[in-house]
Amino acid sequence: MIADIVVIGGGPAGLSAAAAAAAHGARVTLLDEQTVPGGQLSKQIHKFFGSREHLAGTRGFAIGRRLLEDALAAGVDVRLGFAVYAVHPDTGDGFEVAAYGGKAIRLRGRRLIVATGASENPLAFPGWTLPGVMGAGAVQTLVNLHRVRPGRRALMVGSGNVGLIVTYQLLQAGVDVAALVEAMPRIGGYLVHAGKVKRAGVPILLRHTVIEASGNRRVERAVIGRLDEQGRVVPGSEQELEVDTICLAVGLSPLLELLLILGARTAYIPALGGHVPLHDLDQQTSIPGLYVAGDVAGVEEASVAMEEGRLAGLAAAGSLGLGDPAALAEAKREILARLEGLRAGPFGAARREAKVQQVGRPLDLASPPAAAAAPATSDPPMAPAAPATSVVAAPAVAEAGPAAGIPLRRRPLAVIECPQEIPCNPCETACPRGAITIGSPITNLPRVDPAACTGCGLCLTACPGQAIFLIDRSGETAKVTFPYEYLPPPEIGRTVTAVDAEGRPVCEAVITAARLTGKADRTWAVTLAVAHEYAGVVRGMLRRGR
Amino acid sequence: MTERSADHPATRSTAPGRITDHPILGPVPERRRVVFYHDGRPVEAFEGEPIAAALEAIGVRVLRTTARRGEPRGLFCAIGRCTDCVMTVDGVPNVRTCVTPVREGMRVETQRGLGEWHPGGWPR
Repeated sequence: MIADIVVIGGGPAGLSAAAAAAAHGARVTLLDEQTVPGGQLSKQIHKFFGSREHLAGTRGFAIGRRLLEDALAAGVDVRLGFAVYAVHPDTGDGFEVAAYGGKAIRLRGRRLIVATGASENPLAFPGWTLPGVMGAGAVQTLVNLHRVRPGRRALMVGSGNVGLIVTYQLLQAGVDVAALVEAMPRIGGYLVHAGKVKRAGVPILLRHTVIEASGNRRVERAVIGRLDEQGRVVPGSEQELEVDTICLAVGLSPLLELLLILGARTAYIPALGGHVPLHDLDQQTSIPGLYVAGDVAGVEEASVAMEEGRLAGLAAAGSLGLGDPAALAEAKREILARLEGLRAGPFGAARREAKVQQVGRPLDLASPPAAAAAPATSDPPMAPAAPATSVVAAPAVAEAGPAAGIPLRRRPLAVIECPQEIPCNPCETACPRGAITIGSPITNLPRVDPAACTGCGLCLTACPGQAIFLIDRSGETAKVTFPYEYLPPPEIGRTVTAVDAEGRPVCEAVITAARLTGKADRTWAVTLAVAHEYAGVVRGMLRRGR
Repeated sequence: MTERSADHPATRSTAPGRITDHPILGPVPERRRVVFYHDGRPVEAFEGEPIAAALEAIGVRVLRTTARRGEPRGLFCAIGRCTDCVMTVDGVPNVRTCVTPVREGMRVETQRGLGEWHPGGWPR
């Protein structure tokens, strides 16, 4: 039997593609080599960025589950545990796919959607082959899927979102993180992710790298050092860290093998992870009937992967004469508009420009293809992250912000310390009073209307960046409320050490409230009573036992 | 293959590397416990978890040694891509232990070099 569409890969892109195509009547078979569906989502335990359409504010593994349910409900034949090892071109009776999962199977599909994702880049240094040096994804798999701690004390290499998020997840699992080193002079990922690990006291060392790992047949220590402007280790800057795990988070590369077998044309575009397949606005490659979506089409993020998947699924179904053409065209316009939003702002802009180069035309339907792509640059622009000092400056932002303006307010006020234009709006959607505005594009910075804010705190636990705090200056002591996701749970009445945005101790403080609502999905809202002078500074507390 | 009761003391998985409770994922759900053999030594594990995860939980990190220089290698990618974690399982060499589920009574050996099929010296 021949399927209408075969999808390879059951992550956010593949599941979204399969569900979208099946919803328009396509008979779809999806294969994934892992037995756990959702791709990387199955290991993601943090709340996701994006908007409602991307299930933002929901934890990654729950998004993966939802996407799988949607695909199954749409009638997709999902086959887990099957690794595709060969694909054959369409010579008239569809693409042939060979897979193995305890038994060998062969499938045919009139259209083929490849959503194989990306793999982690390694980093070679003396000692890097020692047991205990692992990919950040490996660590995440162990901790969140298999529930096993990789060692007791880790060094993280790389400050992109993966490095920052996995550092936070190591801490949540009870593994200490000695430091996070980043060779670049700035943090690569979102500063709100960096804020979580800084508040937990993990030093983020910029212009630092790992020089060596050593130990008796396993990692027992790491040597790190500072880099000069030319990227050379500054003599005398070396320090030894006692760690048993070194975690590499130095980027991802698209998993292109199946596309290369079929002869799809590729281009080298560093901003998208290296070699990527060329594709059009339908996500179709240079091979007719062969589509790509998600990280294999260029390393971006899960919300982009979902949208690209839908795009590919709709286009593949439409090309088979399925679905209503007008409805498909309208859906495509909407998806392209949302993708524009996700690629706005300082982080998205470089990827957007790279995407124009990859697609070879403007990324909307209105502009004619003849308007042509931006010229390929040999030096693609880096995401101009805010200066590293902006997190340090966060308390000052709070002082200068609305909180400082209305000291006589009788209620707490939401203070948002979200310094970068990232594609995310759960705070806006969470507020029942409409007191928070982001609007369009989704990368706009949130604005709080102090007159409308009741201090209810729904935004505080909804914010995936944990960048919203409640500050109440009405009483004799000020009260600062912050999100908290560690064990043991906070206890009302306990005296703790309050810390600032950098994780530096500020003062002793008593927990006066600790709320955990169902809606908050395991994020506590912890309130500390502090002297008024510290209200703009205190942003968290030391974990017990620290 | 022997059947073990869930409360068999030898199979209670309290290894130091086990996460028992988690602020987001909650307590680890109860799973069937099994015993497998690592270089002849019994190891407690949860049925269905990858061999490499069960070994990491008890602090075993050297999974194989290289052919020419005998250098140790361990878990690296944990998703079945890099093949650094291959071991000899039930006499079959080059098994990716990060994606191979543990089963009761399984014999898992540290692999030397490229390994051999059905190596001798196994307790039968």
